[in-house]
Amino acid sequence: MINVDKLSKTFKSVQALNALSFQAKDGEITGLLGPNGAGKTTCLRIIYGLLQADEGKAEIEGVDANVNPMGARKNLGIFPDKFGLYERLTVREQVAYFAELHGLSGSAQKEAVSQVIKKLDIEELADRRTGGFSQGQRMKVALAQALVHSPKHLILDEPSRGLDVMSTRILRDVLREQRAQGTCILFSSHVMQEVAALCDRVVVMASGKVAAEGTPEELCQMTGEEQLEDAFVKIIGTDEGIAA
Amino acid sequence: MSALTTVWKKEFRDAIRDKRSVFAAMSYAFFGPMLMAVAFFFLISQLTDQADVGIEIEGKEYAPQLVEFLNENGIVEKQGGWSENETPIILRLPESWSTKIADAEPVEVELNADWSSQKQQTDIKRVEKAVQAYSSQIASYRLILRGVDPRVVQPIQLQKQDVATKGSKAALIMGSVLVFIILSVFWSGMNVAIDISAGERERNSLEFLLSQPLSTWNIVTGKALTASTFSLFGAALSLIIIPIIFAYVPLHEIGMNVNFSVGMMLLMFVLLVPLALFATALQLFVSFRAKNFKEAQTYISFLLIIPMAASFGVEFARLKNPILYYLPLTGQHQAFLSLIRGESINVMGTVISGIATFVAALLLIKYIARLLKSEKIVFGL
Repeated sequence: MINVDKLSKTFKSVQALNALSFQAKDGEITGLLGPNGAGKTTCLRIIYGLLQADEGKAEIEGVDANVNPMGARKNLGIFPDKFGLYERLTVREQVAYFAELHGLSGSAQKEAVSQVIKKLDIEELADRRTGGFSQGQRMKVALAQALVHSPKHLILDEPSRGLDVMSTRILRDVLREQRAQGTCILFSSHVMQEVAALCDRVVVMASGKVAAEGTPEELCQMTGEEQLEDAFVKIIGTDEGIAA
Repeated sequence: MSALTTVWKKEFRDAIRDKRSVFAAMSYAFFGPMLMAVAFFFLISQLTDQADVGIEIEGKEYAPQLVEFLNENGIVEKQGGWSENETPIILRLPESWSTKIADAEPVEVELNADWSSQKQQTDIKRVEKAVQAYSSQIASYRLILRGVDPRVVQPIQLQKQDVATKGSKAALIMGSVLVFIILSVFWSGMNVAIDISAGERERNSLEFLLSQPLSTWNIVTGKALTASTFSLFGAALSLIIIPIIFAYVPLHEIGMNVNFSVGMMLLMFVLLVPLALFATALQLFVSFRAKNFKEAQTYISFLLIIPMAASFGVEFARLKNPILYYLPLTGQHQAFLSLIRGESINVMGTVISGIATFVAALLLIKYIARLLKSEKIVFGL
């Protein structure tokens, strides 16, 4: 479980997060929905300990990444905002590197790497260097890196950006599969369709605060709208920065 | 397996596949000594080789042996006319040469020139000297013919050795070789150091690496060890290639005798190990703060001035302060100087400077590890 409790964060004069609180439960997919600049990436970076919160705390299974980053990250898979690949390494080498950093070695590591490569259906890419990969192929490698150590928690920062339909479907299938295994999945997005199709719970963020929270149906009921998109616009009061 | 070796292994594999990094590490070791050897080659030939002096010889048909002797000594018949600011140097040989020589009478030979001309003075002196040398040669023959040892009339033999100029040139040559060796650890790992720090940031893989469950200390140390491996590889290559190339440079012609023994090279390599770590730590420190590869490259080229100033400065300012033996960089430089001069090295100073260099490198790595925890540095906020 990921527990975010009254997080506040200020960059110079900009207040990125303003007492943000929500929870992401195990075996559920929680979507962090918000327009560009709502503070989604900042929130996720605080959760995995790359940024320090000014106030409040974010805990993964009771461990605060700002206090004990090693402990918090052990059980966490991350798909970051920017995922650069090591273009001179093959997919297998690259995934194995991160498996090793998570403490997997020897045959357990080989096994885990082959499994995740199989799961993402990138076996024919596995022994190619990642230089020159397409956006979809790069996404799969980044996802393999995040999943190789079978983490209990998964944080994805706008995973579907720049993906074609086929790649998006693969991504959704993988996330659903992870959910079935009881993984706690938190992902940020500004793409409405994706959130509606995938999320068990949606946290709508606007200017660093939670604007509304609930299942997609609850959000629609709450606002009296048929479509999640309309509900969303009503909740944040503007349609700026939202992609349908 | 610890996270440190994991990072080291991965970075090394990554770097060795980067042709630019490998080429950078090797090119310095290959082309540097070659360039240096070519420069020294010209320097030495300039120092030892004297161009022929051209003069006019009138009546050379009377004394062909003298003319031949002069030719052997680099004094030849002037080809082409004299330029405006030159006064002709004319040697006049009399018709009576052969009869007077045969009768053992003094022959009057006329040397017509302008002794006040600065430019021609060495030329005139060489002609004088050559004529005198020929004269004393004839004198010796005559004494021998009369059963007298010619050494009787040469009570003193003055041996002229021009150590002043050659000595300083030799110091210049050896000084630049030393600086070159020390710079090799800064140069050879440079590209790798930039690639695994500023390059990692530019390729957007830094954020993901920093979000893994390993300490920034392990990340930085693993990266520093990778770059150090490259810089030591370049240093080793230089140490191997320098003696080979210098075997072809005629250093003995300027009275230099440098013996590059295997033991000495090994000792130099050992001394370079902590320096390599220090050099790469410095480079990582600079390039982790840069936004991209290009920016890091600019900063690091400024960084190269430090070792150059430290070694050349000490060399030419002739600084003699005992503290130089104990500091990083200058300590190694002093030890190298002693080694190449064949003197015994200051063991205490060398060991202390080695440890100081190592400690400085570790502190720097520790500091970079702390920087990477700062969101300001990581995200450039």
